[in-house]
Amino acid sequence: MGMAAKTGRGRVRLNVGGRVFETTADTLASAGRDTMLGAMLDASWNAGHDPDAEYFIDRDPACFAVLLDLLRTGTLHLPPGLPEPTLCREALYYGLLDRVRAARAGEFDGDRLRLAASVPGRAPGDGTAVRAAPDGGCCVAHGGAVRVYNWLLEERRPVYLDHAPVNDAAYLDAATLLVAARERPGNRRSDGGGGGGGGVAAFSALTGDLRHRFRVAHWRQPRSFTAGALELDASSNRVFASCKGRLNEYGVGVWDCATGEQADFFYEPPGCALGDADKLQWLDATSTLMVATMFPRTDASFLTLLDFRDDKSVVWSWTDAGTPASLEEKRAVHAVVLEDGRSVCVVNQYDDLGFLDLRKNAGGVRWSSRSKLAGKKKKVAAARGYEEETCYPKLAAHGGQLFASTNDTISVFSGPDHVLTSTLRGSGGGAICDFSIGGDRLFALHNEENVFDVWETPPPAII
Amino acid sequence: MSSAPKKRGSRIEPFRHRVETDPNFFDKSWRKLHDAIREIYNHNASGLSFEELYRTAYNMVLHKHGPKLYEHLTANLKEHLEEMRTSIEAAQGGLFLEELQRKWDEHNKALQMIRDILMYMDRTYILTNKKTPVFDLGLELWRDTIVRSSMIQGRLLDTLLELIHRERMGEVINRSLMRSTTKMLMDLGSSVYQEDFERPFLEVSASFYSGESQQFIECCACGEYLKQAERRLNEESERVTQYMDMKTGEKITAVVVKEMLANHMQRLILMENSGLVNMLVEDRYEDLTRMYSLFHHVAEGHSTIRSVMASHIKETGKSLVTDPERLKDPVDFVQRLLNEKDKYDNIINVSFSNDKSFLNALNSSFENFINLNNRSPEFISLFVDDKLRKGVKEASEEDLETILDKVMMLFRYLQEKDLFEKYYKQHLAKRLLSGKAASDDSERSMLVKLKTECGYQFTSKLEGMFTDLKTSHDTTQNFYAASSSDATDAPTISVQILTTGSWPTQPCSTCNLPPEILAVSEKFRAFYLGTHNGRRLTWQTNMGTADIKATFGNGSKHELNVSTYQMCVLMLFNSADALTYREIEQATAIPAADLKRCLQSLALVKGKQVLRKEPMSRDISDDDSFCVNDKFTSKLFKVKIGTVVAQKETDPEKLETRQRVEEDRKPQIEAAIVRIMKSRRVLDHNSIMTEVTKQLQPRFLPNPVVIKKRIESLIEREFLERDKTDRKLYRYLA
Repeated sequence: MGMAAKTGRGRVRLNVGGRVFETTADTLASAGRDTMLGAMLDASWNAGHDPDAEYFIDRDPACFAVLLDLLRTGTLHLPPGLPEPTLCREALYYGLLDRVRAARAGEFDGDRLRLAASVPGRAPGDGTAVRAAPDGGCCVAHGGAVRVYNWLLEERRPVYLDHAPVNDAAYLDAATLLVAARERPGNRRSDGGGGGGGGVAAFSALTGDLRHRFRVAHWRQPRSFTAGALELDASSNRVFASCKGRLNEYGVGVWDCATGEQADFFYEPPGCALGDADKLQWLDATSTLMVATMFPRTDASFLTLLDFRDDKSVVWSWTDAGTPASLEEKRAVHAVVLEDGRSVCVVNQYDDLGFLDLRKNAGGVRWSSRSKLAGKKKKVAAARGYEEETCYPKLAAHGGQLFASTNDTISVFSGPDHVLTSTLRGSGGGAICDFSIGGDRLFALHNEENVFDVWETPPPAII
Repeated sequence: MSSAPKKRGSRIEPFRHRVETDPNFFDKSWRKLHDAIREIYNHNASGLSFEELYRTAYNMVLHKHGPKLYEHLTANLKEHLEEMRTSIEAAQGGLFLEELQRKWDEHNKALQMIRDILMYMDRTYILTNKKTPVFDLGLELWRDTIVRSSMIQGRLLDTLLELIHRERMGEVINRSLMRSTTKMLMDLGSSVYQEDFERPFLEVSASFYSGESQQFIECCACGEYLKQAERRLNEESERVTQYMDMKTGEKITAVVVKEMLANHMQRLILMENSGLVNMLVEDRYEDLTRMYSLFHHVAEGHSTIRSVMASHIKETGKSLVTDPERLKDPVDFVQRLLNEKDKYDNIINVSFSNDKSFLNALNSSFENFINLNNRSPEFISLFVDDKLRKGVKEASEEDLETILDKVMMLFRYLQEKDLFEKYYKQHLAKRLLSGKAASDDSERSMLVKLKTECGYQFTSKLEGMFTDLKTSHDTTQNFYAASSSDATDAPTISVQILTTGSWPTQPCSTCNLPPEILAVSEKFRAFYLGTHNGRRLTWQTNMGTADIKATFGNGSKHELNVSTYQMCVLMLFNSADALTYREIEQATAIPAADLKRCLQSLALVKGKQVLRKEPMSRDISDDDSFCVNDKFTSKLFKVKIGTVVAQKETDPEKLETRQRVEEDRKPQIEAAIVRIMKSRRVLDHNSIMTEVTKQLQPRFLPNPVVIKKRIESLIEREFLERDKTDRKLYRYLA
C-alpha cells in the first residue's frame, strides 16, 4: 500500500460513470480551485482520505474524456456523434464552460472570419436590428419582439415590450438587454408612463423578464415616448436613447442604467435632429455622444456631437442639408466614429466611404474613391425597391478595422488608409439589413427569411 | 410540501408530465446538505463525500429549486452564526478578541467548503438572478450577525482602540491578534474597515495627539519636541505596517502631522532659545534635518522655514557688513562672509537635502546684504589680492582654487561688478608690477573664472596686462642682447611696457632719475622706439622698484630692495651727507605726498631705518634734514624697504574711484540705450528704463536718474528724438 502510494504520487484515478480515467493532480488542478474538479481534490475535502482510492463521479464518461483532453491540451476536439450542447451541459457541471468557449474560437480578426453558423429566423416581416452580446450570444429585433440567442445559438425566451415595434436593442451586460420601442399611435394613457407601449426598458436576457422601464418626465410630467437608437457609456453607467414625445419633445434622454432613473434630457436645439436619430455612439476619449440622423429617415443627414457636462452643449455638427443636389445625389446613409475618436466614417447609398474630421468644425466629407467597393455597380432602380429588395449599407468599427455591409456582403477595411482586405459573403439569405460585432463574433442579419449568419475566427492552428 | 395543492391548481397542460417524481425531493436533498453543513461547522467533514454533495446541490438547482435552496442556505448560515455569536459574547475580557478570531477562522474555512458544494448554484442561479454569491453571502451574514451586532460592535471597537492606546503608552500588545482582527474587517469590505474601525481610530488619534502635543509644547524645547513628533510618526507608520490597511498610513500620518506639527508650526519654528534661529546659529544639523523632513508634510512648512532662515541670514549679514569695526580689515571682512556662506551651504547640504529653493533663498539673502555696503566690491578684490599675493605659501594650489571659487560666489552677488573690475585691475597691476603675484597659474585661473562669469569684454584688459608683461620681458632681453658687452658696470634695468588703457590710469608724475639710470633708460627708449615706430613711451616712475647695493659707514653691506622713488632719494646721498626735505624734493621732483611716504618708510620704520631724520618726529616738515644711518644693521643681507601704503583706499581716493566708475558707466549706459533703440525704433520712457536696467544688470545696477540724463544727452546729440505728439515716446534717428 505504501509502495503504491509512492509510485502513484501525483496520480489520480477517477471513475466517471463507470469508466476509469487516470490522470495527474496537476492536470486536474489546472482547471482552477473554483471548479468542481479543483474543489474535489482540495485538501479540505480530503482529510483522512485514502490516497489510493478512486474518486467517483456520476457523470457521462464520453464528455468527460473530451473535457479531460481539453485540460491536458488546451484544445477542444469534439468527436462525431457528441452534440455540442451536451458537452456544454457537462462543462457547466464541472465549471469548465469558459474553457470550452475559449477553446472553440480564436480572438476576433476581421480578416480570418469564417462562417460558423446560419440561424434561420421564424418571425415574419423584416428584421430591424441584430445585436451581439458580450458573451457571444445575440439578439434579433423584428416587429414587436426581440429574439434572444445564447452563445450556443440556442434560442431563449423572446423579449417583448408590450409588443410595441422595436427600434433598437442593446446589451447592458451578458444578462441584461435594453430594448427601445415605438409608441403605438392611438394608445394614449393619461399618466403617459405606462402601457402605452414604446420607450426603453431593461430585460433579463436569460429569462426575458422585465427588469425596469426607463421613463421620461418633461417638467416633472411623466410622458410616453418613442425611443429610437440606444447607446451605453460603461464608464459612468449611463444609457442614452433618442426620444420623440408626442408634444414635440424631441431630444436625447439619459438614464442611470442600474436604477433606471432619468438623469438628464438633451432637448433638440433648432437646426439639429436628435429625437429621430438612427444611431448614437459614445466617445470615451472626448466624453461626448455622437448622434447620427440619416437619410432616408429624414430628408437630410445630420451628425452632432453632444457634451453632457455642466452646461449641455453641441460641440460639433455637420449636415448635408442645403448642399446643392448634385447629379448623383449622394447621401450619407450611415455613420460611425472611428476608434481613434478623431474622425467619422460615413457611407452613401452607392457604397462610397467618406470621412469627416471631428477636430475641425467646418469642412465637408472627404469621399474616398479608392475604398469604393469592388464588384458590380448597384442599379439605382434596384436601390429604390423596384425589383429585388436591397438594403442601405451600414458601418461598424472594431479592433482597428472598418466593416461595411453592402447588399449581401460585408467588406473589411484595414490599416490607416482603410484598404479593402476581406469580403464576407454569407449563406445567401439576401441583402444584409444590419450587422453587429461583439463577443468575438460578427452577426449579420439578412433581409430575406430573417436568417442571420454568425462569423467567428477559428482557433489558431496547432502546428 | 405546502406548495403542492397550489401546483395542482395551475397544472393545466395535459401533455406535459413533471419529471420530478419524488415530492419530497427538495426536503430530502436539503436535509443532506443541512447535515453536511453542520458537520463542516463541527470540524467533522472527513466523512463527507464532496461528489455526492455537489451532485445533490446540482440536482436541486437543475430542478429549479435554486431560489428555495438559496433561502434555506441563508437561514441555515444565520443559525450557525448566531450560535457563534453567543459564544463570542460570552468570552471574558482579553479572550474576547481571541474567541472572535477563532470563530472567524472557523467560519471562513466552513464557508469555503460550503461554497465548493454550491459552486453550481454560484455559476447559474446566482449569476442569472444577480444574487450575492455564496461566499460573499457568508461574509455579509458574518458582518451583520456578528461584527455589527449590538453586543459586539461597540465592544470590538473599544477593545481595538484600548489596545492601540495601551501600545501608544508603551505597553506591549498582541500584534498578531490585532492584525488578524483588522484583516477580518478588511475582508468584510473596505467600507466595513473604514466605518467600523478606521474613522473612529483616526478621531481618537486626533484627540490623543492634540492633547499630547499641548503637553509637550509647554515643556519641551523645539528640538526635543520635534524628536517626539518624529518618534510618534514612525511609531504610527510602523503600527500601520504591522496591523492595519496600508491606506490608513497616509491618513494617520496626516492626523499626527496636523495635530503635532501643523497646529504648532509657527510656535515651534519661532520658539525662543531653541527654534530655527538657534539651530542655525549653533549648527545643529540633526535638529535641522529633522525639522526639514517633518515640515515637509505640512503645507507652507518649508516655505516658513525658508523665510525665517532667509531673514535671519539677512539680519546677521547686515550687522556684519555695516559693523564699522569690520571695515578696518577687508580680508577679515570677506573671510567672515565666506565663513557665513560655508556655514549655510553646509546646513543646506546636510540638513535640507540640498533643496534648490533653500539655495535660492540663501543666494538672494546674500545678494541683499552684501550690496548694503558699497565697499564690498573693493573688499572682495582686496581679499583676492591678499590670497594671490600670499599664494601657495599659505595654502596648496587646490585650496587656493577652492577659496577663489568661493570668492566667485560672493562676486556673483555683487550688483556693482564694474566697480569690482576697477579695483581688481588696480590690485592686479600692483601685484604684477611689484612682482608680488605669487602664482601665475592662480592669477590666470582667477581670470578664467571672471571670464566665464562675465564674458570676454570684462577680462580683455586684464588679459592685456598679462600680455604686456610677457612682451616686456622679451623686449628687455632683446635690449640686452642688442647692447651686450657694453659697460657691465652700468645698472641693469628691467622695463615693463604697459599699454595705455589696459592698465589703471595713473596721474603721470615724472621724477628726476639719477643720471646712471637716466642714461640706461634713454638707451632703452632709443632701442624701443627704433623697433616700434610711432609709439610714445612715458616713464611711470611711481610704479617701479630697484635693488641697490649700499655700503654703510659701519662697513656693513646690504642689498636694499626699494621703490624707484626711494632709489632716487637714496642715490642723492652718494654725493651728499645730509639733505633737507626741501632739497630732496627739489632734486627728485617727486610729488610731495609720495615723497613724504617714501621718506617715512626709509627713516621711520623700525629696523629698516636706512636714513636718519632730524628731528626724530613722525611727521615730515620742509626743514627736516636726513642723513644716512651709519649705524644701520640688519640680520639679513637683503633688506626690503616697504613703502608706507594705505592698502585700503583713503576716503578721497574712494571718492575718486567712485567718480571714475560713474564716468565709465555713462558710455555703457548710452551704448545700451542706442542698442535697444536701434532694434526697437520707437519706445516709451518706462520700457527703455526697464530694458536698459535688464541689459546692464550683469555689470551694475544703473541709476534711473543717470539713465534719464544719458537719454537727454543722446537727444542733444541727435541720436534720439522725442515723439512730436506723445512726449513719452522716443524715436531712434538713424
